[in-house]
Amino acid sequence: MRPDRLRLLAALALASFLILPLLPLAIWSFAHGWRFPDLLPQVWSLKAWSYALGPRSGVLQSLGVTTGIALATTILAALVGIPAGRALGQYRFRGKGLVTLLLLAPAFLPGIAVVFGLHGIFLRLGLVGTVPGVILAHLIPVLPYMVLVMAAVFSRLDPDFEAQARCLGATAWQTFRNVTLPAILPGLMTAALFAFLVSWSQYLLTLAIGGGRVQTLPLLLFGFSSAGRNDITGAIALLYILPGLLVILLTARQITGRGAALAIGLRP
Amino acid sequence: MFRSLAALLLLSTAALADTADGDALKAMTWDEVVEQARGGTVNWFMWGGADNINSYVSDYVAGRLKADYDITLNRVPITDAAEIVNLILSEKEAGVTDAGTVDLIWINGENFRSMKQGDLAFCGYTGLLPNDALVNWDNPAIANDFGVPVDGCEVPWNTVQFAFAHDTAAVAEPPADMAGLIAWIKANPGRFTYPAPPDFTGSAFLRHVFIHAAGGPDSLLGPFDQAKFDKTAAKTWAILNEIEPFLWREGATYPTTVTQLNELFANGEVAFTFNYDPAQFGLAVDAGTYAETTRSFGLADGTIGNTNYTLIPFNSPNKAAAMVVQNLLLSGEAQLEKAKTEVWGAAPAIEIGRTTPEVQDGFAAIKTHPSVIPAAELAKAALPELQADWLTAIEKGWAENVGN
Repeated sequence: MRPDRLRLLAALALASFLILPLLPLAIWSFAHGWRFPDLLPQVWSLKAWSYALGPRSGVLQSLGVTTGIALATTILAALVGIPAGRALGQYRFRGKGLVTLLLLAPAFLPGIAVVFGLHGIFLRLGLVGTVPGVILAHLIPVLPYMVLVMAAVFSRLDPDFEAQARCLGATAWQTFRNVTLPAILPGLMTAALFAFLVSWSQYLLTLAIGGGRVQTLPLLLFGFSSAGRNDITGAIALLYILPGLLVILLTARQITGRGAALAIGLRP
Repeated sequence: MFRSLAALLLLSTAALADTADGDALKAMTWDEVVEQARGGTVNWFMWGGADNINSYVSDYVAGRLKADYDITLNRVPITDAAEIVNLILSEKEAGVTDAGTVDLIWINGENFRSMKQGDLAFCGYTGLLPNDALVNWDNPAIANDFGVPVDGCEVPWNTVQFAFAHDTAAVAEPPADMAGLIAWIKANPGRFTYPAPPDFTGSAFLRHVFIHAAGGPDSLLGPFDQAKFDKTAAKTWAILNEIEPFLWREGATYPTTVTQLNELFANGEVAFTFNYDPAQFGLAVDAGTYAETTRSFGLADGTIGNTNYTLIPFNSPNKAAAMVVQNLLLSGEAQLEKAKTEVWGAAPAIEIGRTTPEVQDGFAAIKTHPSVIPAAELAKAALPELQADWLTAIEKGWAENVGN
């Protein structure tokens, strides 16, 4: 078999592996009941979609809240993660191991251990039940990914490039804008993608810190799936997938450094 | 960032802190309370798993509140009220006494007991609500929530009575009583199961077996009695262990939630499901989840009934507006609306005879969903709810003796 064919086959296998599990969700979202042993629903309906997209379900509003929180978390994480990654990737200093360990801690500590202590602190600060509180809470699981990726990016960045720019008279901002940023951009995009998706999928932290008042999509989704409403769950789940997919498509070029991977694989 | 954060916090506390003082409200007349409530926002935490209940609250209730009182109703969907009880408890521990997150919560049973025991409920105000006159507080099933006296700490919303559902296409003639059901289970291996406690509904099924083992509810009423419990419990575990090999998957595993049981029932794996609120069967048929041939039934030896309520937490910053919401929920019109089959089909918590003639006519005109057994028919054989201490003892005993 020619390598091109092989690549195409692999792409198709990967795509079906990723897409097939979503198929029942899509079918459920248009089903008016789907019971064993029917292979397909006997009655089709748009009810689940009209509820999910209607104003009283709050799904669209929740989509906006979830997107806003994930974007804000990503931007804040980048503001912290770029300098932190630079320090870890380019400088040697006392206690670097300890700092790295502390930064990594949230990635391997179970979320539930963090939640209880955090809830008490946030209550006293008046942050429980507020969007800023939830964004701050999301930074905890998001930051390790951002900092680690940025540290790796900076460790491969030759600081002499920046020094040269400064020698040639560039200001600190010009150096960052024209030399550092283009160099770290693909890495930054990868880190931002991770940050966005980690924030996007938070359930426990949002539930505890949002106190039910900040209704992100995972919360709404869980409400209907735990109530056995597979049709509405299917519709919300498909809406839930969209932004992640969109972000991946938009950033694919920056991350891989070329066009969308699948398109290349499909070229004859 | 921090400045805007601080501004946001200041704003929220300034806007919310007006009617946190419950004692001041209790000293007012109803008209003054309504005046205080105008323009307020009520965060109502309620189970959000049924789209038509959600729609009733978001469309009908919220619409009337906005139009009549300029109150904004923010329905907060939750999956388990116990989580919210914990939230309010931690707020109390953190000293949040007048700016709590929750203004109203849909609650009953063990969660109400926790709220009351922890002094987390706003109490002693319900007489102020004009529509409180529609409630028959002389009815012990309303004045007591799972055996715990309500004491003006919550307002009834719906009454429910436990019922079973079957698909007539699979089981034409369901068992008539608990003894019949037990015999049916043994005659039809693998066709019955029940959710493991502490699932709310599974625990209620256990109590039916427990009352059956005791030969009736009379000896079990009142506070917990260890000697009586031990005697009945031994018989109960014997019955449940005896049927275990005849259950779904030979009783090797139990569903953990009533949702899982409903799913098994919907797909025909088991022949029965059950629910505290028979209206749910009609809703499931309308949603296409259950077959059109689904019907529901009670037991000749009775099924347990109870009442569910709305409660205002002690630290709600919008108590006046929350009281107006409760008063509206109790009104004849609102109770009639949710009793309609196509809206929800929930049985009223008020005395229909005390409402206006129009509302009474409305109730008389309601046609029950064919899959839902009429409340009046179920009520012919009703059992009282056991007190919460019995509940916890039964659940614990089941885990040690049956579910091990």
